[in-house]
Amino acid sequence: MLQKKICMLGGFAVGKTSLVRRFVQSIFSENYLTTVGVKIDKKSVAFPDKTVDLILWDLAGEDDIGSFRVSYVRGATGLVLVVDGTRPATLAVALTLRERVEAEFGAMPFVLLFNKSDLADRWAISDGEIDELRQRGWQIYLTSALSGEHVDDAFRQLASMVAN
Amino acid sequence: MSRVPKEVRSWIYDFFYNERSAAYLKIDARQCIEEKGGNLEHYGLSSLRIGKPVADQLEFMEGLLPCPELPFHMPMMELPGGHVADLHLFGDNGSVWLVFLDATPERDHQQRLQQKAYEMTLLQERERQLNAKLQSTNEALRESQEGLSREYRRAESLLLNILPASIAERLKADEQIADSHAEVSVLFADIVGFTERARSVGATTTLAILNYFFKAADLLSEQYGCEKIKTIGDCVMAVAGLPTARSDHAEALANYALELREAARREHFAGEPLGLRIGIHSGPIVAGVIGKRRFVYDLWGDTVNLAARIQKAAEPDEIRISDATHQLLGPEFACDPLGETELRGTGRVRMWRLRR
Ligand SMILES: Nc1nc2c(ncn2[C@@H]2O[C@H](COP(=O)(O)OP(=O)(O)O)[C@@H](O)[C@H]2O)c(=O)[nH]1
Ligand SMILES: [Mg+2]
Repeated sequence: MLQKKICMLGGFAVGKTSLVRRFVQSIFSENYLTTVGVKIDKKSVAFPDKTVDLILWDLAGEDDIGSFRVSYVRGATGLVLVVDGTRPATLAVALTLRERVEAEFGAMPFVLLFNKSDLADRWAISDGEIDELRQRGWQIYLTSALSGEHVDDAFRQLASMVAN
Repeated sequence: MSRVPKEVRSWIYDFFYNERSAAYLKIDARQCIEEKGGNLEHYGLSSLRIGKPVADQLEFMEGLLPCPELPFHMPMMELPGGHVADLHLFGDNGSVWLVFLDATPERDHQQRLQQKAYEMTLLQERERQLNAKLQSTNEALRESQEGLSREYRRAESLLLNILPASIAERLKADEQIADSHAEVSVLFADIVGFTERARSVGATTTLAILNYFFKAADLLSEQYGCEKIKTIGDCVMAVAGLPTARSDHAEALANYALELREAARREHFAGEPLGLRIGIHSGPIVAGVIGKRRFVYDLWGDTVNLAARIQKAAEPDEIRISDATHQLLGPEFACDPLGETELRGTGRVRMWRLRR
């Protein structure tokens, strides 16, 4: 059995819980219910030659990076960094969280999600900025937990990265 | 612990064991479940199998063992059954104990508090964004309002340029305008040999000449209380006795004509002094504004037509006036009779040459 622990990282209310629900249960809710502590979900991703069970750790969205418990990430093999595309400050939060995790557990594969792509009129991240990050070789997705756009693609991509 | 009295110890034990639904697993060095006990049922975990790998049965254990930082505490983990547990891991001679303590009420309480705090923060962020948007929208609105009033002022000044001020006022007040005027004088003036000379000097010089001529016509009309009605090509049409009636309209327009001819002569066009042919006639006309989007103030009637024909019949540098106009001029105006002349479409007309 190929089982991999994945952590959802990002500021509060960027859509971590919604993305997991969309990916695992194919549902979405407008209502914001903040996550306290940790919730774990599981979803299998099938490839031609193998199946990977992703164990998704949906961590509390921290507004205060200092209070983030890096130790939750122990044993993780991949990260889903989530940014709210309508709140530019959440990009720095996601990147800082990743730095803290890597300092503790070393580099690991990740995908970077700019979420809420359905809110086009409130979108606050420029294409140039995203291109610049892509040029670092990062796997970047513009996702919407509401419509489901690119959500499966992003998780599948990460699954294939951690399966090797 | 030994200094804690037995009673307290037992109270703490009962409290955690019962109130917080304590349960435990012992995990051996191969990461298999070695022992289990306590209220596992509460967490829906009574079917965990001894001797089997823990990570296969409890997904959250994936990757956690071996753990170099024991004891390890993970607060408020939501288990698949919906219960929330504080998890404590601590070591024991190569084995690891995993203790579950129910934390559902604490989690719910903390969630209610945090929910409020985050919702407030989100609202504040949103408010800031909306305020910024509002400000830039206001800015844009103010700019377009300024642009609009600039446009309005420009339109107004254009209106004043092409219309007599009193007519422009009435137009702004949305009045329909078509007035008959029993007694006015109408003048036409055009440039002698305009087409050939324009060809020989080129567009830029021609435009400068026209500009000079029209400007002079404008300035003099203010000076003599006449109205320049319009220009048609190189021809100027002016009127006196409009929009306010005046009995000396013919004299005013005669003076205007004399001065206009003087002003023209001071300028050169293709090497020669700028010459005009001027015609004047007096009589009744109808004046009005036509057009809905572009206002044009104009004059109509036989008086206008005859004035135009007299002008066409004039010699270079001549101011030719009709008999009707001549009769209205005082003795200070020197005129030569031209006798009766045939004018196209009008028949025989008595005309005069105004000298000064
Ligand atoms: N329009 C839109 N709203 C989203 C999207 N993802 C999440 N949300 C909303 O954003 C809020 C926070 O989402 P949540 O998943 O709880 O964020 P978390 O704190 O990162 O887990 C909720 O009200 C969601 O309904 C999205 O893709 N589009
Ligand atoms: Mg959440």
